[in-house]
Amino acid sequence: MPVEVIMPKVDMDMASGKVATWHVLSGEHVEKGTPLFDIETDKAAMEVEAEASGILHHPVAEGVDVPIGQPVAWLYQEGEAVGEPPAAVPLAASEDKKASPPADETERDPVSAVKADRVEPQQYGAADNVRATPLARTIARDAAVELTEIAGTGPRGRVQAADVRGKIDARQTETPALQFQAESGPLNISRSRADKGIPVVLIHGFGSDASAWKPLEAYLKGRPVIRIELPGHGKSPKLRIDSFAELSSVVRRAFDTLDIERAHLVGHSLGGALALSLADTRSKSIASLTLIAPGGLGPEVNGPALEGISKSTRAESLGPWLKELVFDETMITDGYVKAAMASRKEPALRAAQARLCDTLFPDGVQSFDLKAAIGRLDVPTRLIWGKNDAIIPWRHALRAPGNIALHLFDGVGHTPQFEAPAEVGKILRQVYDGAS
Amino acid sequence: MSAEKSPELRELSYAEAIREAMDIALAADPRVILMGEDIGVYGGAFQVTGDLVHKYGTDRVMDTPISELGGAGVAVGAALTGLKPIFEFQFSDFAALAMEQIVNQAAKVRYMLGGAVSVPLVMRFPAGSGTGAAAQHSQSVEAWLGHVPGLKVVQPSTPEDAKGMLLAALEDPDPVMIFEHKILYKMKGHVPEGHYTTPIGKAAVRRTGQDMSIVATSLMVHKALSAADQLAAEGIDCEVIDLRTVRPMDRETVLASVRKTGRLICVYEGVKTLGVGAEVSAMVAESDAFDFLDAPIVRLGGSESPIPYNPELEKAVVPQVPDILEAARNIAKGRI
Repeated sequence: MPVEVIMPKVDMDMASGKVATWHVLSGEHVEKGTPLFDIETDKAAMEVEAEASGILHHPVAEGVDVPIGQPVAWLYQEGEAVGEPPAAVPLAASEDKKASPPADETERDPVSAVKADRVEPQQYGAADNVRATPLARTIARDAAVELTEIAGTGPRGRVQAADVRGKIDARQTETPALQFQAESGPLNISRSRADKGIPVVLIHGFGSDASAWKPLEAYLKGRPVIRIELPGHGKSPKLRIDSFAELSSVVRRAFDTLDIERAHLVGHSLGGALALSLADTRSKSIASLTLIAPGGLGPEVNGPALEGISKSTRAESLGPWLKELVFDETMITDGYVKAAMASRKEPALRAAQARLCDTLFPDGVQSFDLKAAIGRLDVPTRLIWGKNDAIIPWRHALRAPGNIALHLFDGVGHTPQFEAPAEVGKILRQVYDGAS
Repeated sequence: MSAEKSPELRELSYAEAIREAMDIALAADPRVILMGEDIGVYGGAFQVTGDLVHKYGTDRVMDTPISELGGAGVAVGAALTGLKPIFEFQFSDFAALAMEQIVNQAAKVRYMLGGAVSVPLVMRFPAGSGTGAAAQHSQSVEAWLGHVPGLKVVQPSTPEDAKGMLLAALEDPDPVMIFEHKILYKMKGHVPEGHYTTPIGKAAVRRTGQDMSIVATSLMVHKALSAADQLAAEGIDCEVIDLRTVRPMDRETVLASVRKTGRLICVYEGVKTLGVGAEVSAMVAESDAFDFLDAPIVRLGGSESPIPYNPELEKAVVPQVPDILEAARNIAKGRI
């Protein structure tokens, strides 16, 4: 029988709350005691941990007001049939839920349990499992919009016509430079040959790809390395990403497929923000976290440089922006620029990155805020930053709590792993040899 | 409709408009007769027939004995044999007493005799709550008769329609049941002079709007319009449809409105379950207009209760303006 996840009462005079962010996606497994969602009330925002282990299903949409005591999702056991969401229990019953299980008693009846096992989820409701009004479905069908991509603002997350129209409008207001044929599929993951010890999982930054880790990898010899390429970057599919949360979920799904028990996680810039978000939800799988000039700790970012890199169509325009990344501009040779441009020659890749840039850094601002996440990390974490970073100000590092070690490098820009790979490698080895 | 002829529109009460229609019909067609309990010298339980007995005599304005079944049987027989009776019930609740004649005879004779005869009968039913007349004199039972093929069932909501639908009913070869809300009898409104008809089976859009459709019947039309005025001030633009005819229902007008607004509230005084609004809702749900719904359909109908005598309770068991406001706001704000 699925376990109900209810909107908790965290405030004395709280009548309802909103799920601000799910840390776990529908269909994902969650361990008891790990962060399940963030709630927002009139007064406060806070994290709620899972009260049981299980697979999350039927989560309410983010941003929807839910009365306290009402279910926001259900946790199912492995192999348990997932049909329609169990009927919402009345408030009075849920307040007393420890005394008596609220769900239908007949589910315990072995005959109906067998029947339930035979039920395919698709047999109930719409094939896409999205709660949507008929009009929303009509409009979405006519405009070839996927309802699964839309956050419903109606009751219980119901997608309404206005939600679909909003999605269509957003699409139409995109400039042609941001339009590309969205792809699907898992992110590209590459691995080194080594297989002894806890692997190092690397997440690159915006506009980059897995090859950017080469200089650093030279100092990680002998340790298995796993590189995740972000959507629209390197060999990963060009997914349509509409929010940091969505990007974060995609990376989390990629991480979950790695089939490893624990990982040393390293992220750079946007990859740092994603690594931080990942560590926030997968803390038990993270042996250590190293954030190199990570995003998400403040609003400032060098917007023109990010936009310039994503949109440049030739080496002549790309070169000056690449030089913003480093302190010593002589490192950005003509050959380096040409090779970088060659890896970005596909217009669809540039459009996907330009759109991602517009989504994550609208008006040249970091639209996502991970200060709360870094504040609650219970993973050994280090911050590495160049004091001459011209992309994200190193002073953002000061927003991290005191238990996080900070390594600051003079004469280094936004890419310590490229500009000072030996020093960064040394820090990592110290961490890893300690943890083995 | 506007009357360019006179700058001052002539106003009559709903009851006066019905009396005028009967007067016109009695004068124009010798086959027309009035029947009912106390409709003669007394002028009818709600003074609708008034002094017509003095103008047309007791042969054409007949008091019937206190037996609805007997009176209705005579009326059906008279209709079968060439007259055009208008039979008045004192209260629509008493339709129960005459069900055999209405349902098994009037509605079926033409069918069972292969079209050889017809029953050009008009029955008038003072209906609804709000008069403190308690459980046996306050019901809205139009859905009972709306369930019977062979009958036409109408609920005019304005003096103009009350006259026009009665005259249309007299032109109809089949039995037409007219439910007149008792609270409306004193309502005044423009009524055109002379003979005219209001089509049976055609709803009226009383107010156009973009945000939601409110399909209402009888007195509820006025409550819906009052609610719509308040809602307009809140930026909720309601379309109010006066269904006017319960059977046959005006499918096209309702569906066109729902296709436009995507939202539907049905407001009717009869008991909510298995009532007129249930039929309207199902009609929409079964049609192509379904694809245009952007919110669940809401029905506001009478409670699952006899109409209480206590005036406060009597109000509580039928939809009121605040109920319509609440439903409309809930829909507009996506709360349901």
